[in-house]
Amino acid sequence: MKCLLIASESAEMLFYWTDLEFQQNIQKQYGASQEEGHEFPAFEDSISTLFAPIIISFSTMVTEADSYTSFTTENNHIYVLHQFDECLYIAVNGDGEEKEEDLRRKIYVMNKMIEVLFGMVTLSGNLLRKELRARDTEQRLRLWKHLQSLLETYSHLRENDQSFLVEAVERLIHPTLCEQCIEFLERRLVQQINSSVERGGEEVLHAFILVHTKLLAFYSSRNASILSTSDLLALIIMAQNMYPSNVDVDDPSPEDIDSTSGSGHESFYTPEPSPTDKDSSSSEKPVRGSTPVFEFVDPDIQMAEDSLSTLEVYPPDPATPHKVFLEVSQKDGLYPMMPHSMYCLKLWPGITLVLLTKFPHSGVAMSVYTFWEAFAKLEKRLNEGQGGSTRGQPMHEVRSKLDKFLKTLALNGIQSSQLQNVWTEFKNRAFSRGGPGFSRDLILWCKNMKTQLCGIYRQCFLSDSGPDDTPRHLSPGLRERAQTMVQEQLMDWKDFLLVKSKRNITMVSYLEDFPGLVHFICVDRSSGQMIAPSLSITERTTSELGKGPVAQYIKNKMWSLVSTTRHYLQKGYSTLTLRDGDFYFCYFLWFENETGFKLEAKDIPIMPDDSAPIGMLAQNYYRKLLRYYSKNHPGETVKCYELLTVHLGVIPTEIILQHCRQLASKLWEPSRNPLL
Amino acid sequence: PCELAVLSHDFHCVCNYFFLYDGSKVRGEADPTRDGICYFYPEETPLDKQELLCGQLAGVGRCVSELSSSPARTFRLRRNKFAIRMKDDFFWALGCSVDVPTVSVSEFLDQLIDLFCFYNGPVRQSYQLNSQETLAAQWARYLSHLQSGSSELSHIFSCLKTIDSTNVDPLLLLKAALILQACQRCPLVLAGCILFRGRVVSTQMSPGLTMKVMIHESETYTKAQRPNGTSASSSFSGTVSSTTVFLTAPELQDLQSAPVDKGFRCCPTTPQRDGPSKKTRLSRTLSDTPSPESQVSNPSLSKPPQKASLSPRLSDSDVFSPASSHSAANSLNPSPQSLRFLSNGENTVEDEAEESRSRDSTGGRSQIRSEGDGSVFEEDSHLNGGEVEGAFGGVFEFQAVESGNEQPHDDKVVEEDSRVSRGSVSGHKAGKSDPPALLPPPHRLSDASEENALIPMTLYMHRVKGLVLALLVEPHFMSDAASMEEVYHSSLASLNGLEAHLRTISPGAPGGPGPYTFAHFDCIQSTLTTNLSGRSGGAWDQPFVRATSLLHSHFCNTETLQEAIIRSACTAVYGTRSVAQETYFQQNGGSLRNSGIPNHQDSAFSLPSKARHRLLKHGVNLL
Repeated sequence: MKCLLIASESAEMLFYWTDLEFQQNIQKQYGASQEEGHEFPAFEDSISTLFAPIIISFSTMVTEADSYTSFTTENNHIYVLHQFDECLYIAVNGDGEEKEEDLRRKIYVMNKMIEVLFGMVTLSGNLLRKELRARDTEQRLRLWKHLQSLLETYSHLRENDQSFLVEAVERLIHPTLCEQCIEFLERRLVQQINSSVERGGEEVLHAFILVHTKLLAFYSSRNASILSTSDLLALIIMAQNMYPSNVDVDDPSPEDIDSTSGSGHESFYTPEPSPTDKDSSSSEKPVRGSTPVFEFVDPDIQMAEDSLSTLEVYPPDPATPHKVFLEVSQKDGLYPMMPHSMYCLKLWPGITLVLLTKFPHSGVAMSVYTFWEAFAKLEKRLNEGQGGSTRGQPMHEVRSKLDKFLKTLALNGIQSSQLQNVWTEFKNRAFSRGGPGFSRDLILWCKNMKTQLCGIYRQCFLSDSGPDDTPRHLSPGLRERAQTMVQEQLMDWKDFLLVKSKRNITMVSYLEDFPGLVHFICVDRSSGQMIAPSLSITERTTSELGKGPVAQYIKNKMWSLVSTTRHYLQKGYSTLTLRDGDFYFCYFLWFENETGFKLEAKDIPIMPDDSAPIGMLAQNYYRKLLRYYSKNHPGETVKCYELLTVHLGVIPTEIILQHCRQLASKLWEPSRNPLL
Repeated sequence: PCELAVLSHDFHCVCNYFFLYDGSKVRGEADPTRDGICYFYPEETPLDKQELLCGQLAGVGRCVSELSSSPARTFRLRRNKFAIRMKDDFFWALGCSVDVPTVSVSEFLDQLIDLFCFYNGPVRQSYQLNSQETLAAQWARYLSHLQSGSSELSHIFSCLKTIDSTNVDPLLLLKAALILQACQRCPLVLAGCILFRGRVVSTQMSPGLTMKVMIHESETYTKAQRPNGTSASSSFSGTVSSTTVFLTAPELQDLQSAPVDKGFRCCPTTPQRDGPSKKTRLSRTLSDTPSPESQVSNPSLSKPPQKASLSPRLSDSDVFSPASSHSAANSLNPSPQSLRFLSNGENTVEDEAEESRSRDSTGGRSQIRSEGDGSVFEEDSHLNGGEVEGAFGGVFEFQAVESGNEQPHDDKVVEEDSRVSRGSVSGHKAGKSDPPALLPPPHRLSDASEENALIPMTLYMHRVKGLVLALLVEPHFMSDAASMEEVYHSSLASLNGLEAHLRTISPGAPGGPGPYTFAHFDCIQSTLTTNLSGRSGGAWDQPFVRATSLLHSHFCNTETLQEAIIRSACTAVYGTRSVAQETYFQQNGGSLRNSGIPNHQDSAFSLPSKARHRLLKHGVNLL
């Protein structure tokens, strides 16, 4: 019983996703008999009718300066509501599998994915509405299907992958290979591509190799800014969505693995694309084996998936680049949502090479963002009632720059007459002697300017016709060569890597030093990386957590512990120990400087229940926390660490705490761990 | 120094909004929302705003409950957290600040609705019978009562206010218990409680029921307007009053079965339910009791004799616990009156006639069972021979009773049980063959569903200055002059004595900020023990309350959680719980300077052992 929808303020459905159970529930309420072939629109209609009162009431309450954040019912259904700009997101759970916090996180992640896909267009409610709800039904369905599948991929990862549980990247622990790969990416791959004439004006900024969700090697070119953890995690979701990991199929040699990994039944289940999808475009999903890999398939599910896509939807060829909008930090500031191309090249099932390139015209994006920000700031000041001529001063600077910018746009053949018109009107009002000047009347014109700027951005980076006619992508031949190069390089390692990704580090190696320790997760929040023993171990010989119910139990406990610690962290508690059933849980968060000196704890801000979820994927909490903490440590690089442990409850508390202490110092020792 | 919930913290207005909205009044498109508003708090809220909130919340409530096929439970907004109840066409919403734990807000609203139903009966019915203004005054009363004079901690736990037992001579508590037991000898008395200046001295009722009864007491204590349906009996010089109250079926069932369970834990309960009736006992009570009672209540007596005289009373109480079961037995064969729903609490002539008939029948039954009674009586006199040793035993046993642990009595009880039950069984055979139906027969429930059923009873109150004896009695008790007089006179002297004693007790001096803060919540009795004094407003109080509130919610939501330590940079709080209690402990003062890195020498991790040692002297055993 799950659902997530996005609606405009006028209760127009901009996107929805439901699971089968929720869909059936809605259909039951509306009578399941729908005309053949019209099920899709009919379902959309009924869901939007049912939610309309909530959406309208939400808008009414917003005008009263208080708005809904969540509802619960007596049968424990949970509704979470959140508004981003003009879009209202509603997430529902009625099966007890997700808590309020999970739903809120899902909403934020959905918003993050939309930002990555649409960039600055998300800053204009009107433009975003047009993107999400395209007039062309087929186009809309294709987009919704893509978003639905991204959401399912994310949910699957969040429920099964520890790195998505704590929202930090997990690296494969193999220092030598890792180093070799980075060197290879730098000296050979990126250099070759960037010096090739076939690169179509693009420039590779980042290149990385993923083994399932784990990072084998990551290389950034010298003039690239740092790729934020939030963006990296979002890109991993996209890559996973394109090439879902499935242990059973992706296994290079099933017998081989079988001898070491026990039954394949513990493998994680990745939602498959719907069968119709698959049949319609064979090129779309590369070699997945002809049999669908549903593990819990029953005819109903397939039927439902079919009904969701009665209209044929052809997803684009995965080899073509995706436009992604990522944060870029420059010396002069932070530019969110700057355009990049993402090339996801599949090396083998489960192993992917990702290239991120810069657009030739990405400078335009920075300018557009700078202007947008200037108008947003002005609007805010005017809203606060502090117009005044002195406050208009920075706008004079903007004025000359924007005039110049408009000329550049015209030279590049970008349609900018509307922007030109609004800008002229704005200038007349703001700068002319007889005009109203910087008064509240200007607020509307600020809004107009912002929308127009987003329109320019959309024209340059989202529409199919770019600013000019030059080819804007790495040529297919170049892509193929890159793919082959890396394949050759990793050929001997691929089987090892696939196994290693399933058991990156194992509890066995810790048991001797830490008797009674059941599991742990350690996260470096400054670098956004984590390490934890694999929970998905299928190996027969090591029965670390046993199999089946026990392993599942520990896993569930771990997941709920993370959610508990976040709740306390949100309320300002950075240390937590719990005796729960037969287990003893510990959580610690602390700060160190670069030399490893432990910095004194400081009170952490207390936040309301409905604040952004704590994590790094959407709304990076830890970045804010580090910034907050660093205020007292100017000139010092502050690092933030987290440790979660699960011990057997019978172990004396003193010993448990000693273990935690040892783990905390041992795990990040450079000698032991190549992460740092 | 430990204070038992003596908290005169600044008034914390927990409730921002409360309203009752009747959807049945707003059916058509043209019906204005205001027609549906039965009550809105704060009353001075502009009508537009009232309409907006009621309309929006009720509308969304309906929408959500349709989508989920279940009534809405909570709505969270950015600034308010609403507990929601939807029943029939009624929609209740109670809005608190978002900092209050959700469980507590929900509990608050439940209490509020329960209180209303307790004094007014079913909501739909009371709105048919009374004007909106009258009932608005009721809601306002209950709301202010629930919010008044309590601390944040008591909002978190919704606990009963009790007198500070550390300052009170335990004998006085015992005496209060005995007064209640003596009253229960009257078959029309279900259970009672004794309150002193708005605090519980002794109660035989469940915490929930006691809480409900207390509001009436505080009303009369503050000399507020006489509530609806109250009638004072002129013959008792205005100190006695009564009002109709409505019990839910489970509450009534609980009252009827609780004493049986306490006294005869080891025996099957069914035979006793039809146990010997009370008529004979009542007469015995009348003739026998005055002497020990007056002894006890005589304040001039020195302590040792008092103790000595208490001993027979104590054993008496024990032996006479069957008596309370008899009252239960009585209502198990309910006379029609006890099943009347929605009555206004006034007995008609027919009622009385019928009642006397039913009394006759009980009387008849009791005679058959006099044999069983006699045996109990013998047992009683035997116990009375406890003499000097009994004095100490009495004191000891009192404590046991107080903590709900009657272990020391068990063997005696078993012994007499067998006799009583023998008697009862024979009585059962000889007497009516009514099934011991605890719930009213279904046809009585006509339009109300079984769980909605509210059974009218009467709340009898006897006030002696700051002291109040509150008894839940069968409705016809008030018209039964003999019973009333008996209860009145048998307790009057004791109440006077008890009041005189309690009055002289000075409240414990408020302790300054001690080296630690703790709160101990007894989940069974709903009582809170804490040394947190709102008056000192210590720097440590706020962090403690915040942590306690978080941990309490966590305990409520996670059954398997046994203990937790949470620490921020400046405070560390330890919480532990069992089925019966929740305890929170914080070490005050001393800097917690640390880096937050795991360290077994960290003072936060010594909290469990500190709590164990420190709290022993407060009677909190965490071992």
